[in-house]
Amino acid sequence: MLLILKISWRNIFRHKGKSIVIGVILFLGAVIMTLGNGVITGMDRGLNKHIVENFTGNIILISGDQKNEAVIFNFMAESVEIITDYTKVKDFLKAQPYIKKFMPAAFGAPLVLNEDGGEPDFNYVLGVDFTEYRKMFPDNIEILEGRYPDPDERGMLLTDWNRELNFKYLLGYWITPENEELNKANLIPEAGELGDSLKVKDRMIFMGFNEKNTTLDIQAKVIGIIKFKALNKFLGFFNLIDIESFRECFGYFTAEDSASSIGKEANKILKLDDSDLDNLFGTESMFEKTDIQKNAYDISSLKKETEKTKQIDVDQGSYNQVYIKLTSETPLLEGVKKLNQAVKEANLNVRAITWKKGMGEVADMAMIMKGALFIFVMFIFFVAVIIIMNTLSMAAVERIPEIGMMRAVGARKTFISMMFFCETSLLSFAFGGLGIIVGIIAVQILNAMDMTTTNEMLQLFYGGNAFKPYLGIVDILLAMIQLSIVTVLSTIYPILVTRRITPLDAISRD
Amino acid sequence: MNNITKIYPLGNTTVPALRGITLSIPEGDFISIIGPSGSGKTTLLNIIGCIDRPSDGTIQVGGREITDLNDNELTDLRLYKIGFIFQTFNLIPVLNTLENVEFPILLMKKHTKKEIAERATQLIEAVGLKDQINHKPAELSGGQRQRVAIARSLVTRPDIILADEPTANLDSETGASILRLMKKMNEEEKTTFIFSTHDPDVMKYAKHIIKIRDGIIAE
Repeated sequence: MLLILKISWRNIFRHKGKSIVIGVILFLGAVIMTLGNGVITGMDRGLNKHIVENFTGNIILISGDQKNEAVIFNFMAESVEIITDYTKVKDFLKAQPYIKKFMPAAFGAPLVLNEDGGEPDFNYVLGVDFTEYRKMFPDNIEILEGRYPDPDERGMLLTDWNRELNFKYLLGYWITPENEELNKANLIPEAGELGDSLKVKDRMIFMGFNEKNTTLDIQAKVIGIIKFKALNKFLGFFNLIDIESFRECFGYFTAEDSASSIGKEANKILKLDDSDLDNLFGTESMFEKTDIQKNAYDISSLKKETEKTKQIDVDQGSYNQVYIKLTSETPLLEGVKKLNQAVKEANLNVRAITWKKGMGEVADMAMIMKGALFIFVMFIFFVAVIIIMNTLSMAAVERIPEIGMMRAVGARKTFISMMFFCETSLLSFAFGGLGIIVGIIAVQILNAMDMTTTNEMLQLFYGGNAFKPYLGIVDILLAMIQLSIVTVLSTIYPILVTRRITPLDAISRD
Repeated sequence: MNNITKIYPLGNTTVPALRGITLSIPEGDFISIIGPSGSGKTTLLNIIGCIDRPSDGTIQVGGREITDLNDNELTDLRLYKIGFIFQTFNLIPVLNTLENVEFPILLMKKHTKKEIAERATQLIEAVGLKDQINHKPAELSGGQRQRVAIARSLVTRPDIILADEPTANLDSETGASILRLMKKMNEEEKTTFIFSTHDPDVMKYAKHIIKIRDGIIAE
């Protein structure tokens, strides 16, 4: 082995030109592969941090009847199946040791109606219990105007991105939180140009579609204008609204519904036989005196009713998804598998999916970008292999007399193969190793530069607002493995060429 | 060698290089194979040296039939039994004189470093290159390179040394000195030397001469 090393080492210096060509390719390849790995990992980490930690959790629990798994980000704004009997699901989730936190929510895409006329269009809304939302995602949003809702307060948090889009393309008026002065500093140029003629409102009207193909309009007061701290151009499509308003809008079973007792008159109707139903349309029953009318304007009674509503457990109503954060030691896919197994055993009509599936197109776009980057890295890898392979093959042909002589005096094919492989490996170790080091330094520099962007595609590419490539031990090991693969692949063909060299070739060359 | 033939394909036709050669070479001999260019002497040497296979016929080296040996067995046979001296010296350019001479014996992996160094040094001194022991081939003259090749061919104590026109690229004086050296080594090491030449001056060093013409032994 020492002999092979000695000959290989000296051959590198003897064939300086070729060594430099191969070395430079290995160096550049290693730099690009290391950087590429850093960007891919940085993107993954960014998306994980900003979406998993701040938007969906690791896993999304959806109804077992839900067909399209893109329950958060689907551009077709399809309705999402309701999770039935959430209280059971809640108890079940609490009992799972690998779940750190969870929070139910409801996604929907109601139409935004313009009081001043004009075409309506969709806005995405997430119905949440604001108190629980803050516990689940404590640091994901920034309040730009207004405030965070009080516990059980009805209303919504409008994102600045949706406010801007709604102003430009839908409403034509500017929205500020209730009881807040217009903050001119936050106006977009188009709104600012209108000056005093700018219309300002503090409410939004949503029209939701329910399963019976009927609609219901609700008016939601805007409590705050928010901005997601990262990926705002994507996550900013989602306004947050209190869950009860959401349920009303989409005709879901509200918590208030579950807490209401059936009145005397309604009870009487429910108890009627089918044959008596016609009587409902008779004049006699139509004009029957009831206690309901008598109490209709009793203010004190209404106040009591309001207090009763406040005490309602919101979890008694309907949701269509549950965001779940796993304990740090539980890998995502293992968590999904465990949860689905447990769900099956508990006979619950729900299904666990990864956040990527739930995020639909966003995760797909991120995967496409990641895939494209990976293909680019692989392309570099492939080009490096081809160039090195060619150079080494040429070197093998040029060295036929030397190799043939070695074979004549007793060197086996293995010795020749090892010698060639050793030469490339030494070059790979020196130049490729240097490339990896330079790649690591470049990643650190890029990280420190803190490059930020507002461009949607770049935000996905960055995995957040800032370009934060990252290299962990695994990525560095991956770069080394890639370099080793390049070395091995690029020497296979030249080694085959050298193995075919016979002592006779050496003599023929003479 | 028994009835050795060698036929080379050439396009759609074939060219016979050897046409039934039967030959026996005793141990310790110093044989010159002579003949004009294209007579088949190099082909004969290649077949004796196990670097080419005959188209037909059988060969025994040291009593061992070698016709059916595989590549590794032939390589080992060359390593242990046969030494080579090439017309163009064919040294390893990146190794110095000592390392070039040590090269075959290192491949054997059965001697200590000390033994290898002693044997190589002794041969280098014997071929008169003591002062050039650390020189690379590029720093040596043609005659000196061929001396290194002779030392290298002897280092494993082979039974046979094959030299294909060893003096062809040397001036007559250097060529004569190389032949004298080969003769000396033949006598000292008791190694069989078989060399090809078409130089009549070289023939006078041979104990026996095999004349070959058109692929057959002429006399």
